[in-house]
Amino acid sequence: MYVFPKNLYTDVRLEDVSVSEITYQNGELRQNLKRNTKGGFIRIFDGKRWYYSSTTDIDNIQEEINKLALMANENENILSHPVVEKFEINKGEYFHFKENDILNISQEEKLQLLKSYFPLVENREEIKMWRAIYVDRKITKEFYSSKGANLKFDYQTCAVVYRYSLNIDGKTLDSSYDKTTTDFNKLKNLKEEIEKTISRDIEYTKHAKPVTPGKYTVIFAPIATGVFTHESFGHKSEADFMVGDETMMKEWSIGKKVGADNLSIVDYGDILGGGFVPFDDEGTRAKKTYLIKDGILAGRLHSSVTAESLKEETTGNARAKDFEFEPIVRMTTTYIEAGDKTKEELFSEVKEGIYIEEINHGSGMSTFTIAPRISYMIRDGKIAEPVNIAVVSGNVMETLYNIDGISNEVELMSFSLGGCGKFEQFPLPVGFGGPYIRVNNITVQ
Amino acid sequence: MIKEKYVSNEKEITINVVQTEIKSIRKKDITKTGLRIYDNGYIGIAGTVGKVDESELEKRAIENLKLQIPYPYEPSTNYVEKLDYRKETLSDEEFVKEIEELLAILRTEFPDFIFSNNVSIQEMDISLSNDKGLDLSHKDRFVAVEFVIKEKSSVNVFDAFAVFADRKYSREKVLNIVKDTLTAYRNPVKLPKEGKLPVVFAANDGLVLKKLTEELNGYKVGTGASLFKDFIGEKKFNENFTLYQSAEEEDITGYTFFDAEGVVNKGYKYALIENGRIISPYTDKKTASQFNLPLTGSASAEYDKVPTLASRYLKVASSGKTLKELLNGQLGVAVLIASGGDFTAEGVFGTPVQLAFLTDGEKLIGRLPELTISGELYTMFGEDFIGRSEDKAFAGQNALVLNLDVKYI
Repeated sequence: MYVFPKNLYTDVRLEDVSVSEITYQNGELRQNLKRNTKGGFIRIFDGKRWYYSSTTDIDNIQEEINKLALMANENENILSHPVVEKFEINKGEYFHFKENDILNISQEEKLQLLKSYFPLVENREEIKMWRAIYVDRKITKEFYSSKGANLKFDYQTCAVVYRYSLNIDGKTLDSSYDKTTTDFNKLKNLKEEIEKTISRDIEYTKHAKPVTPGKYTVIFAPIATGVFTHESFGHKSEADFMVGDETMMKEWSIGKKVGADNLSIVDYGDILGGGFVPFDDEGTRAKKTYLIKDGILAGRLHSSVTAESLKEETTGNARAKDFEFEPIVRMTTTYIEAGDKTKEELFSEVKEGIYIEEINHGSGMSTFTIAPRISYMIRDGKIAEPVNIAVVSGNVMETLYNIDGISNEVELMSFSLGGCGKFEQFPLPVGFGGPYIRVNNITVQ
Repeated sequence: MIKEKYVSNEKEITINVVQTEIKSIRKKDITKTGLRIYDNGYIGIAGTVGKVDESELEKRAIENLKLQIPYPYEPSTNYVEKLDYRKETLSDEEFVKEIEELLAILRTEFPDFIFSNNVSIQEMDISLSNDKGLDLSHKDRFVAVEFVIKEKSSVNVFDAFAVFADRKYSREKVLNIVKDTLTAYRNPVKLPKEGKLPVVFAANDGLVLKKLTEELNGYKVGTGASLFKDFIGEKKFNENFTLYQSAEEEDITGYTFFDAEGVVNKGYKYALIENGRIISPYTDKKTASQFNLPLTGSASAEYDKVPTLASRYLKVASSGKTLKELLNGQLGVAVLIASGGDFTAEGVFGTPVQLAFLTDGEKLIGRLPELTISGELYTMFGEDFIGRSEDKAFAGQNALVLNLDVKYI
């Protein structure tokens, strides 16, 4: 298809991206967008440096390859370069969404679906402002390399999101309901869920009181578990943070005990949802990677460059936000595996603690944070009064040991608006979730 | 029928740095074009990335009028202004050579640290014009150095960062920022005391202004969802606290001097809170019209989307004092990294602080242990508001100073 320059490694990623977005604000149509863009990202490697170009002129990719090659230095041994040897040569067409292709649904059907939920928010006096959003995204990717990779595959998500602001006698809350899936039909019966979420939020807003700051045992709902896992440990498993860094390699040596005995954390790109990445952006097939297995550090996430550098295997985690960026090491779907307690057992064993049911955001360095949106006190084993909390935090490595209970069911989820951020590449869709987990000694502000 | 065209061109050369070495070089040149047709109270938009066939775009925009997206407001008309803030900068080749030399200095002078992330030259050329005499153009270019820094002996993913953004590159300024930060980093110190202390943020740090930004949303105020719904015109904050929406030349933020609806504010700024009094929430044409609020020019849009209300760059007015003068003999807690904090719905603020320094207002004295800080919205910008520095005495940036509760984590 392309004439690749001699004595250099080259790959080309083409993306055909279709987006639908419909937005209503307080019942009035604000956006009704159908967008299709095509773009390409070219990488050339001469054994020392990488040269990248991003272009929307996909009819002239060959010209762009030729121009980029002029910046590089020919290397006769490029094919035996250890990084180049890591690149997989996958070929074929892998279309997962032929049966339920979102492009076959009319914009009108999407619009009517979104409108069908309006009555749930229109007649609520407490909701002062609301926004109903339908959004979908279908991407068809092609990947070609000078080693012979020749791949075509697709990816899609669709979502219904309701965002709303409550003001009840001066007490306010910004909240939302978000259902993101890969199948349009799964967006059709959400009435009960949306209604339940809104009712809960109204009750919460009416009755929530400021929390007494301090250290607590905290139970995270799956959404909080997912964000905690992603932020606190997932990012630390991205191997580009370790390359060439002896301290990190020692600290993160495989086989080291890093958490509670029953703690296992997985990243896997072959799960439908926001983190569905059957092949990554350098053509590597998705692999199931245990980051922690039974409390022991078991693996980390790689691109070909980091895998070669650390003398490990690729994992299918080289991802780019879109065709404007180069692939870097990113998560796909990251979650804690199920434990052995029922949800009820987890709560019943807490004399006084905090239950975090919904969150606004989270972050993770040596200290992780979760900014809860909906949280409650736990008293004598039961969910008690609602409390307002600005942020909960803890030391990541201590917290992994402080997990003393994991429920026996896993819930995975994705968001269509927002995503994971790493340096300039934000937002990247990911999947996350897990079981309910109970963690001791968390700082609550 | 009015035809309006939005064109955005972004050019960029980015040098990716790994382990204090250049790892890759990326070039980008992307043009996005949007065509808007206003007719009979509706707006139709079509957009494209890359090559443009304007007649085809116009046809699609007219077709999209059938989607009946209401826009019963007058587009901006009869105004011409073109600003070009670009300054001479390095060629791509000079830039790569300069960064190679800069990294060589960093490797020698700071052998105990690893520098990563990227350095870029970013250029933007954005225009909005219509067939009713609107012709606006904004060109800008700046060098951005964004180093993520890790101490070699540390087990953290990263420990500090150094940021420089200016229209003119200065090796000396970059090195000074790195040197000031890392010299202090190497010197562990303790808080003078736990409790209320002056806390210093970079003036453009979004964290402390987050709640104000959310609650000053004009649609939120108009619909009664905002905490400030009953407070427009009322004095709720410190006499010395003024917050305005800014697109002034000194603000290198990527914002154009006009908003997505072609509104240009006098002096490129609009005060939302003045001397403690809430003057107005920020508004676009729809919000201003629907709720009878002043139009503040706060519409934002991607190239192919309908303009909607969004906050622009919000800036605290300078107190006309240096950071040292603002601290008035006290030592301040200068926050470089405070990740993950937030406000509760009613305005209680809390955040962990991953990296903070003790400062006397002229220099960073030493690195503090991890902290938590907390406050409350009306108090933070009320009795506890100290000011915004005139000088760039905190890591090359202006500083915002507030009294907050500070504790060890």
